[in-house]
This record gives sequence, C-alpha cells and structure tokens, in this order.
Amino acid sequence: MQPFALNYARPAAELQATIPYIYDSGLQLNVLMDGQIAARDLALLRELGTTTSTAGSKTHFDD
Amino acid sequence: MTVLILTCEADVTADLVVVHLNASGIPVVRIDPADLTGGVALSGEYVHGAFRGHLSAGGRLVSIEGLRSIWVRRPGAPATRAPVPSPWLTEEASQALYGMLRGAGARWMNHPDAARRARHKPWQLRLAQRCGLPVPATLITTFPQAAREFSERYPDLVVKPVSGAHPQDPPRAVPTSRVAPGTDFAAVAFGPTLLQRRIAKRADIRLTAVGDRMLAARKVTAADTDPEQVDVRFAPSDSPWQPADVPPRVAAAVRLYLREAELAYGAFDFAEDTDGTWWFLECNQSGQFGFVEVDTGQPIARSIAEWLARPGPERRSQINGTNTAVS
Repeated sequence: MQPFALNYARPAAELQATIPYIYDSGLQLNVLMDGQIAARDLALLRELGTTTSTAGSKTHFDD
Repeated sequence: MTVLILTCEADVTADLVVVHLNASGIPVVRIDPADLTGGVALSGEYVHGAFRGHLSAGGRLVSIEGLRSIWVRRPGAPATRAPVPSPWLTEEASQALYGMLRGAGARWMNHPDAARRARHKPWQLRLAQRCGLPVPATLITTFPQAAREFSERYPDLVVKPVSGAHPQDPPRAVPTSRVAPGTDFAAVAFGPTLLQRRIAKRADIRLTAVGDRMLAARKVTAADTDPEQVDVRFAPSDSPWQPADVPPRVAAAVRLYLREAELAYGAFDFAEDTDGTWWFLECNQSGQFGFVEVDTGQPIARSIAEWLARPGPERRSQINGTNTAVS
C-alpha cells in the first residue's frame, strides 16, 4: 500500500560536520567561537553546506 | 522603520542579509515565532478605532506599525518552544502573531497567503504555462492506467513528490528519480503521483528573483554524469554554479509569474536542454540562495536587504482581500 513515489525514497542525509557557530541574540547573528560573524566566512559556509538547497528540507517545503 | 525577520536562530543564510542591513544602518528585529511566550512576546490593542502593537525579543521592542517590511525566511511554528507547548497554543500564537502582522501595512517577502498558494506545484505548473514558460509534459494522477498510458507516450520519465515535502517517520528524502522502463505503476493508486518527461539537460539553472532583479546561475551537467542522477540537489558534482544571463523571453515570463503569484521573492529551477531551452521545473517561494551566492559571488543577499530596506509604496493585492504589498 506504499505510494509509488516512496519507492524512490532514500534515508535523509544528515549534516556531517559539527556546526561551529552559535546564535548571538545581541547581534542577531551566528558567531564563530572566536567571535567572528559566521556569514562573513563564505568558505566555511560552502564547506558546511548549511546554505544549500537541501538544508531546509527536513522542516520546510522550500529548497 | 524596522525590518522584521521571521526565522530560526540557526538560519545562517538569513545572517547574510542581516549583515547588509546592519551595514546600511537599517534597524532589524529577528525573531523565531517558535519562541513565542518564551523569548518572544507580543501585545496589540484595538482601542478608539486604532491599533497599537508591539513585539519584543532579545531586549528589543518594536512597534508593529513601525515595520517597513517583513521577511518570512525559515520561521518555526509559533510557540513550539514554549514551556508547555501544544497544538492549541500554536494555533493561538499563530493567529495572534500573523493576524497582527497582516494588519501592519508592511511590505512582505513573501506574504503568507501568497506563500501558501505558491507552494502548490500543480498550481505552479499551470501558472508557468500561462506565463509562457516551457513546462515538461507532466501527469499527476492516482490512476495506474493513466500512468501506464502516459509512460507509453513519454517513455523517459521522472517521478517527484507533488508537495516537495519529505517523509519524516523515519526521515527520508524523495529526490526526483528516473522511472525505469517496464515499471509497475500499480502503487500510483496509493498516492497522487507526479510523473514528468525527463529533460535531457546540459545544465541546471537556478534563477533567483528579488523584486524586479533577476540573478541566474548555471551548473553544467558533466559529460560523465550518471544518467540516473537527475536531481541536482542529490547528485555529486564538482561543477560550480556560475553566473548566467537570463534570456529576455524567460525574464518577461518570470516577471509575469511573480506578478500573478504576488511574490516578492522566488527561486526558479529550470533544466536547460541541448537546444538551450530553459524548461520550468518549479518555483520555490522561499528557496535557498546562499549556496549560489557562495559559488557565484552574485549579490543576492544584498538585493534582498535592499528590497527589505526600501520604503516603497504599498500595492494592494487580491489574495483573500488582504493587505499585501509585493511591489
């Protein structure tokens, strides 16, 4: 009784890397352990994949 | 006047925009509706024919009438992190928050009513057709026989979720997948199934529209790409996204789509075939953009910040007769 599309489902991929930043409510930005703003480190964002089109899939429809 | 951003704390993509707003000196209040009754508070009164409302978060207090724009990015469901959460409390908090914000007169990216409608893929496909965008032959059906007949007309098919949602119990992903010849379509009867003619693509296109501005990026399909891997989100690739020009006819059609959908932001996915035609696949009304900006250097975050910062005249929409500003 499984819907057809679910024949093509695969286990959801989890982010491999530990997220090295934390939200600072004063700045309203995520900051790295050294206090730098995470969004300024584009190389890090690319490496982590937290801005990619599957990042929001778990809880949101829009990729 | 203040820009209100509704998103979760971990949304580092939103940070890209906050950085630009901060640099421009535009006041920003960022809240996650999930924190209502915890770190987020609200109040509004309707007295003597007038409304006065306030939101508070992280030591900031903002007047709802003082909002210039509202960016709905990745908000949590209201009050889900309250000390004693419940579906009833979530509905109460949702009605209170979004009900007050709907009356704010601020510009939305995107208005919740427009966003809800725009998430419907079947609606997207029809609107894209009406706007003149090429749409691959598509069937959405629960009739196995209709699926069989469609596969005879279009032997090279892909299947994808109608909603774009992924099952969560257990967590699984349903990528766009190729349907093998001779596949048994009996299970089509157990759930609406979206079948679409596969486009033999030479590149994926992500066109990010911010107001009137369009920023397109192109990712070349490598010659040695596994033909079974049709979903760019799940296919391993060394090809970076690169800036691309938008053909004038596509640009005109996308503008019409956004106007009809009453969207201020949309992330359009196209498949570019070997003739160079861009085939419309979908428009994500809150699609991710950071991964494109990181690769291409295109100023998407800055464009969003500029749109949010703009005072701009308000334009009334037709969505349920509400007060939507999309221009």
